[in-house]
Amino acid sequence: MNRNPFAHKSSGSQWVERLVFGLFRAGTYLILACALAVFATIFWKGGGTVFQKAAPYVNWQFLSQSPETLYVFQHEGIKMELGDREFRAFKKERGLDAIKADTYAHSAGGIWPCIQGTFWLVVGSMTIALFLGVSSAVYLSEYSHGGQLVGLIRLAILNLAGVPSIVFGLFGLGLFVHFMPVLAGVDDPSVPSLPVGFGYWLNFSGWGVCLASGWFTLALMALPVVIAASEESLRAVPKGFREASLALGATQWQAIRTNVLPYALPGMLTSSILGVARVAGETAPVMFTAAYVMRDAGGSSGLFNFIGQGVMALPYHIYVVSSKIPQNQYTERVQYGTALVFLILVSGIATTSILLRTRMRKRYRW
Amino acid sequence: MPDSQSTPAPERSVALAIRKEKRFRPLGLTADSAIRRFFQGNAAFAILALVLIMVFLLREGAGFFGQNSRGIRVYRLAGLEYVDIIKGQLDRHAELTRAANALRLKIYSDALAKGAAPQAATAALAGFDAFAEALGDASEDVRSLASDLTEQAAAVKQREQIYQDSIEQKAMLIRAGKAGAAAAVSSVAVDFGREIKALSASLPIYKDANRLFAKKLNASLAMAGPQSVPAAWTPQLSGLKAAAERYAATFPEVEAELAAWRYDAPVPWYRSVTAFLFGRQWLTASFWQDWYGIIPLFIGSLLVSLIALLIAVPLGVVAAIYVSEVAGTGEKTWIKPAIEFIAAIPSVVLGFFGVAILGQSLRAVSETTWLAWVPGFPMSERLNAFTAGCLLAFMAIPTIFSLAEDALTNVPRHFKEASFALGATRLQTILRVLVPASLSGLISAILLGFGRVIGETMVVLLCAGNRIAIPDFTQGLGAFFQPVHTMTGIIAQEMGEVVPGSIHYRALFMVGIVLFLLALGINYVAQRVVQRYRISIG
Repeated sequence: MNRNPFAHKSSGSQWVERLVFGLFRAGTYLILACALAVFATIFWKGGGTVFQKAAPYVNWQFLSQSPETLYVFQHEGIKMELGDREFRAFKKERGLDAIKADTYAHSAGGIWPCIQGTFWLVVGSMTIALFLGVSSAVYLSEYSHGGQLVGLIRLAILNLAGVPSIVFGLFGLGLFVHFMPVLAGVDDPSVPSLPVGFGYWLNFSGWGVCLASGWFTLALMALPVVIAASEESLRAVPKGFREASLALGATQWQAIRTNVLPYALPGMLTSSILGVARVAGETAPVMFTAAYVMRDAGGSSGLFNFIGQGVMALPYHIYVVSSKIPQNQYTERVQYGTALVFLILVSGIATTSILLRTRMRKRYRW
Repeated sequence: MPDSQSTPAPERSVALAIRKEKRFRPLGLTADSAIRRFFQGNAAFAILALVLIMVFLLREGAGFFGQNSRGIRVYRLAGLEYVDIIKGQLDRHAELTRAANALRLKIYSDALAKGAAPQAATAALAGFDAFAEALGDASEDVRSLASDLTEQAAAVKQREQIYQDSIEQKAMLIRAGKAGAAAAVSSVAVDFGREIKALSASLPIYKDANRLFAKKLNASLAMAGPQSVPAAWTPQLSGLKAAAERYAATFPEVEAELAAWRYDAPVPWYRSVTAFLFGRQWLTASFWQDWYGIIPLFIGSLLVSLIALLIAVPLGVVAAIYVSEVAGTGEKTWIKPAIEFIAAIPSVVLGFFGVAILGQSLRAVSETTWLAWVPGFPMSERLNAFTAGCLLAFMAIPTIFSLAEDALTNVPRHFKEASFALGATRLQTILRVLVPASLSGLISAILLGFGRVIGETMVVLLCAGNRIAIPDFTQGLGAFFQPVHTMTGIIAQEMGEVVPGSIHYRALFMVGIVLFLLALGINYVAQRVVQRYRISIG
């Protein structure tokens, strides 16, 4: 613009403009600097727990063991830090009865049950959310032609997206943990029950704090994200595909099944990974419905035992270790380590989603 | 006609096709429309989910008002309210004493600052100390009476509690079919009338004690002459004395209130609702009386959100303007995903960051001398509303940024071109054309950011300090640096410890309902704003 010979030469306003734009830029970079600071601190402090200098460079013990209580004590003038099992073995070996030790809960061992629990929570809830979300999106973008019901559905989805996560937690507690019916051979007098015949009753006693409760609660939370992502990829499929298929005499479902879904599905799945990041990162809904402070890794056999058990979850574990135990050199290890593992997991998921989405957009271009 | 014979054939085939289709209609549906229904049903699940959330929040929370109402009735019946009238009088006296002590501290430190030796400063205040001590001790008779009455009333309330428990136990036994065991459970109803007589019989004793109180108070005030403090502090002293005199003047009112108090006066039905919505105390598991007032939590939530928005709105909007209007394409391609990536950081990790690092560092910053002019500095607590607000701002920035950026890019190109054609600079175009044109989009971005912030749980639970009290707004901006508790935080913190079905459990659900309605309201307003925006550009 400076080269324009007709331009009004007002260096003053240009200076102001440059200054203001500089401020805008400073603000933008301040945000990025904050993000970098958060990442760097957690990587720096947690790196020592999760990684190591010698091969295999990753501290597998931290990733593969259960959390244990840490015992810190003086023995023969040497300061010892031992986990629960080691401590007991040590006492037995030396024949010592009472050792005065400082104890720090959760500070020894690793976080394997938490990783496992988070994995199961994400898999289950995303299965439910994808099923519901993809079929809702198919209805909204393929079948519906406006109207009151569709308006209402869209309004509900929009509002569902704005409900605070803790309210989802309360809802899950009220519905799944305390109300959902359980099939049993006896009529529980303390709760309402419904006879279903053959000597069985449906007792409305709730499922309790378990995987299933967590799945449904988290699935409802992820639903708006999944629907939005699925609708976007359905809309990206050109109209001609459907019309050509219909013109050849296919029914609407045949057109959708053969000419829309195959092209939209990859996009739906990759965009829905963002929903995974949201589900995996939430603590508040899980803490009432599925998570325990301490639980052994999935020992129950049988499907119903499996989904009926509570689990440990990474986000809840971070909450527990950052609020319920003191902060010092002994507890720092597990605090930063867990935070780092969780951050890598969630940001890895999010990055994958973003990268895959850009690639997908490039691949399908009609 | 020759070809009239060929016409019936297609008709028959059509009829056949229709009949064939009719055959495959189990519920009056063809396969295709059944599939359609299936998808429709799944889509309608979103509505069902929203309805279920409302229903189950209400189902668990609705019982709260009944239970709270009973609690308030027992509070009156057992005479706790009566004792609280006297306690209120004593609390105001304690406030006076605190004011006197604060004044003494000020005078003392002022004297030290002026170079007086500590002993000399203390000696100079001997007169004031005698006054303050006499002022503090003036209430001792009333105080001892109040503590006697407290015990009495608490005992009555406890007996009532035992009675209620026994009734419940009986009902449970009868439901389980154990009528014999139910009859064996002893339950004695509390005769409130008789119990209260013992309580209200203390009124003459109280009146005597109160007269003594007033006398001692006046005597103490007489001790505080102009010579008891340095001349510069006389106005403050007389202010204190005036407050004490005003306080003493309220004694007859307290007596009248006590005399007029009736244990069997009905508690109005709305009392339970107003006690929740406007109650200034959230007090649980107390031996005396539990109060479930949402105001301290609500104000805590608002304060934290306000701090977060004060930081996040300028930064988010500025970044949106920068990325959409100023930055080059190279910068744009990486800044935008980078900021959106922040949204993926789990809130609990940010909360941990606040506990482990940010709280400490902010306090260290607040202790530097050249920042001493900031109200509220140095921070007394590591975890406070400001710490939580900073982290929440960080969480809200991606939301505000991407919505604001959308709003800015949605402004039609010709708006910008027209502005340039008229000779406006880029800055003028941005500030006078683009921002006003996208204003409603920006407002809705801010509203949705607010919705995100007020519903956030883990950060405030870990970093807001969790003190259930209304911040002291007399300190001005210093209130930003006080620990608060929030609506989301209290649910997360206390839900794990309460008995399902208890009043505390239901109170937490009521807080959840308030949050839910708030979120719906924010969403609604944001949508309305966006709708307006469409019309204005159109």
